[in-house]
Amino acid sequence: MSRSILITGANGTLGLAIAEFFLTREENCRVFLGVRERRERAQELAARFSGRADLITLEITSADAWKTALAEIENKASPLGVLINNAGFHEDALLANMQQDQWSRVLDANLNAVFHGCQAALPGMMRERQGRIVNIASLSAISSPAGQTNYAAAKAGVIGLTQSLAKESARMSITVNAVCPGYIEGGLPADWTPEHLKALKMQLPMRRFARPEEIAAAVFFLASPDASYITGSTLKIDGGLL
Amino acid sequence: MPTRQRLKELMISELMLDMTADEIGDDTPLFGPAGIGLDSVDALQLVVMIEKHFGFKMADQDQAKRLLHSVNTIAEAVDQKAAA
Repeated sequence: MSRSILITGANGTLGLAIAEFFLTREENCRVFLGVRERRERAQELAARFSGRADLITLEITSADAWKTALAEIENKASPLGVLINNAGFHEDALLANMQQDQWSRVLDANLNAVFHGCQAALPGMMRERQGRIVNIASLSAISSPAGQTNYAAAKAGVIGLTQSLAKESARMSITVNAVCPGYIEGGLPADWTPEHLKALKMQLPMRRFARPEEIAAAVFFLASPDASYITGSTLKIDGGLL
Repeated sequence: MPTRQRLKELMISELMLDMTADEIGDDTPLFGPAGIGLDSVDALQLVVMIEKHFGFKMADQDQAKRLLHSVNTIAEAVDQKAAA
């Protein structure tokens, strides 16, 4: 039976790359592109892989929305086999100036949404006694840069959740892992100037940013049968930065 | 297959227990050091397993705590439901 794969934030650079990686490398999979708004790029990918990729509307911070989305996936294809919690965003400010809603929005989207997604996906995976969850954390969870107390805390929380849930679900052949990408081409803030990007590259051991498919390849591996004994792991993919 | 035997075999395969069905007494406590030594993760799996294989859904956590005491307590509840 083909696997159903749900990727949240599938309208962004990394989400799209992960989706395309699955669609090109796993012939029988059915990929669901979780999006809330800005659907154009996901629609374009779904059109290219017609019949194997579907858009699914998902407000990741709502437990009810997750339940509805997973029921739709099961109805259209098969119970969810792979969940990639990729959606998220950052809203940077020094803590001294950070508004309560800046803190809450970032925690909701980056950490609470992962809780909702895992909780919605688990019952089906437990029934099937198999499943793969890959949570996209961030290098910020490890390096904790100034100006990202909210984002760094949320992503560090994702790593903690990943490790704890891995222990809870290991006996059911459900693996839960996290990846921490560094800088990704096409996924950097639009207001960063060419000079800033150039200076940033000089600080990287590889002197280049990651291609999105280089992150997608690791996610694909962690979701594959070959990674059956890897759970609770956090994989840093940063070209040697840290 | 009698419910008790089926339960024991399912527990061994689904909870990955390194023991035989004969080693699980009908009245042996499933949890705690005096019994088989299952933990809270096993309890969650047992609830799913019983629902999946016997169609018996636990009403709440209190009922689950009561029924998951031993193979006997589970089997009695499952058989009662089947007979109803």
